[in-house]
Amino acid sequence: MSPISIGSGIRRRILLIGSVLVIGAACTAGATGLPQIIHARQNHFRMLGRIAKSLRDQVGRSHPNWRIVANDANRIERLASALPSWFPAGSGKGHGVKTRARAAIWANPQAFTLAARTLLDRARYLGQAADGHDLRALRLRTRGLGQACDSCHRRFRARGSWW
Amino acid sequence: MTAKGAATERVRVWDLPTRLSHWTIVVLFGVCWWTAETDHMEWHLMAGYGVLGAVLFRLAWGFCGGQTARFGSFVRGPSATFRYVRKLFGRGADDSPAPLGHNPLGAMSILVMLGLLLLQTLFGLFSVSVDGVFSGPLAKWVSFETGRRFTHLHAANFDLLLLVIAVHLSAIGFYRFGRKESLVPAMIHGFKSRTPSREVPYFVPWWRAAFLAAGILLCVALLVNVRW
Ligand code: HEC
Ligand code: HEM
Repeated sequence: MSPISIGSGIRRRILLIGSVLVIGAACTAGATGLPQIIHARQNHFRMLGRIAKSLRDQVGRSHPNWRIVANDANRIERLASALPSWFPAGSGKGHGVKTRARAAIWANPQAFTLAARTLLDRARYLGQAADGHDLRALRLRTRGLGQACDSCHRRFRARGSWW
Repeated sequence: MTAKGAATERVRVWDLPTRLSHWTIVVLFGVCWWTAETDHMEWHLMAGYGVLGAVLFRLAWGFCGGQTARFGSFVRGPSATFRYVRKLFGRGADDSPAPLGHNPLGAMSILVMLGLLLLQTLFGLFSVSVDGVFSGPLAKWVSFETGRRFTHLHAANFDLLLLVIAVHLSAIGFYRFGRKESLVPAMIHGFKSRTPSREVPYFVPWWRAAFLAAGILLCVALLVNVRW
């Protein structure tokens, strides 16, 4: 055997071990990535909930703070435009991470994106109501916002019950 | 007296306000359940206010309504309840006649059910919904996280309510099939057939219920529209 062939054998082995390590690392990274993806999106949704409640609190006032309303509407708008990206393929149920995301999200992606788009539009209307300091529009548009959340949940979010 | 000649008479037992508040609670409880399960939160709150009003009305009617509706006329202490249960199973010598209205066991289930229903609606007033927007009217005074905790209490208390209602329905089934005594028709039309007795319950004029209902409607409407 020539030293060159020995060297190439070692190199090949190093290459093989190296690629196994890289693929293995990629797989482990994928496995730890899924819980992170799901937890991150649930945190995003809780943030949405916090903002929506803040809006509702303003609606209950005779003199809402329009700056808060405008800011909340803006934040919801931004979250709504990112919403579909929180649901990469394979981040549904059945991977050992607790999630209420229903398979319908990936079976019918257009409808899901449309639901997120509706939320974005409703947030935009809210922003307009805030710009116009229009109390009646604020009440109406906040209801519309809540309905946009509910109607997506009805279709794409599973309910957790024991019965 | 019936035509068959059997010595029974038709006695009025439940007044209309008692029956109406009972069936209102039954229907709206179902609506609350269904709307919560299907994320129709806007309707859930409407139905919930209805339950709150009906429960408050029934509680007040228990102090100023007809005789059979009054807590004072049917709520018994533990020993009287125990004697009633012994008699129910054919034991013990209790010569007091069977009550025309609620029996002592039924009284217990009524108190527990009304209490849990009131608690359910009170938790609901502070609950924050998943959409945030259709939260209870008093959720304003709590943070998002605390409001969600109220929602969990609200959900746990609901499971408890289902359990108590199951016991209530089983008891009605037991009277119907074990003792051949139908309780449901009387809660619908208000009358019971029974052997004549001296016991005839008294009732109160209808306008008393109307005033009470109007007052409670006003209070609930104010609560729903609370501003700050
Ligand atoms: C396009 C569909 C869609 C819209 C619109 C939507 N949601 Fe959701 N939401 C979901 C899905 C799907 C889940 C389940 C996510 C999971 O469990 O992984 C969810 C979950 C949630 C959760 C629970 C998060 C947790 O703790 O697990 C909250 C809170 C929430 N959404 C709030 C809102 C609010 C507030 C709005 C409106 C402002 C809204 N959502 C609009 C689809 C939507
Ligand atoms: C007897 C009357 C009521 C019943 C039987 C009832 C039942 C329920 C049930 C079963 C849930 C679902 C809990 C879960 O997530 O598992 C729920 C949620 C809720 N209820 Fe009620 N409820 C009643 C009255 C009320 C009232 C009066 C209010 C407010 C005014 C209210 C507000 C809410 C809110 C805000 C939620 C949260 C839903 C969510 O998480 O999106 N409820 N209720």
